[in-house]
Amino acid sequence: MKIQRERVSDEIPTASMADIAFLLIIYFMVTTTFAATRGLDFSLPKDDQDNTTIVDKEESVLIEIQPGGVLVVDGKAMQLETILEYLKPKLERNPNKPVIIRPDQEAEYGYMVDVFDELRQAQEKIGVEVKNVSIPTQREIDMFWY
Amino acid sequence: MKLKARGTQNTMIPTASMADIAFLLIIFFMVTINFEVDKTTVGLPTTQLRFEIPKKAAYISIIQSGQIRVSSGEEISVPVPGPENVLSFAVDVVANNPGKPFVLKADKNVPYRYVDSVIDALKQARAEVIYLLSEQDKLEEGADG
Repeated sequence: MKIQRERVSDEIPTASMADIAFLLIIYFMVTTTFAATRGLDFSLPKDDQDNTTIVDKEESVLIEIQPGGVLVVDGKAMQLETILEYLKPKLERNPNKPVIIRPDQEAEYGYMVDVFDELRQAQEKIGVEVKNVSIPTQREIDMFWY
Repeated sequence: MKLKARGTQNTMIPTASMADIAFLLIIFFMVTINFEVDKTTVGLPTTQLRFEIPKKAAYISIIQSGQIRVSSGEEISVPVPGPENVLSFAVDVVANNPGKPFVLKADKNVPYRYVDSVIDALKQARAEVIYLLSEQDKLEEGADG
């Protein structure tokens, strides 16, 4: 009787490699989230008593933000789109004119960002940069506002 | 004359390169994947100007109800009971890594008093820069220019 020997393959089985790899791809595709990783930068003043500039309220432009997004600039109600036009002659006379953003404690945060974004675009929109923007906190207002 | 036997046609689809393609895709995903330290869902404000936030920045998120979560950028964010805890967190971060940027991820509808308390804490902790996380503002349809 002739006994047939079983032939042993000398190849490494790689057929399932693609399956494993595609499973890994599916895992990465499902778990990947496209995070928002951009935003507006806002440099904080150095907490240095000697170099802190006290801005006189009368010398600056005060932008108040009320709940609902109502903007009051130097006591006058104004639209977001017209703020830069209002600021232009003042900034041309004094490029370091301080601009203070003062949101109401109950105003929505989004409106503060809208105003800050608008001021940051001054260079492109009116050709003059707003160099001096400050957003005092309630504690600072209580301490220094006069 | 002895005729040569016809060669049999191979009916298999060559899949040897499939694994190579798949592993290339895996490498792409591994390189581009961005692990979020803060998975809080908030309605971000929209801005026209947006700048790239440095990696490993510390995160402070505020949801609409005022709940605050913090992360030093190394681990998943954790909730904190109140704004006073943000100050101690920020002081720790600045002490360990002076100049580290902070990212403020706040809901656009959150009352400003919550944001005010966080900014005040960061000022007191001597943080240098805050990034106000935002989404890209779409240009208005029909707008000039």
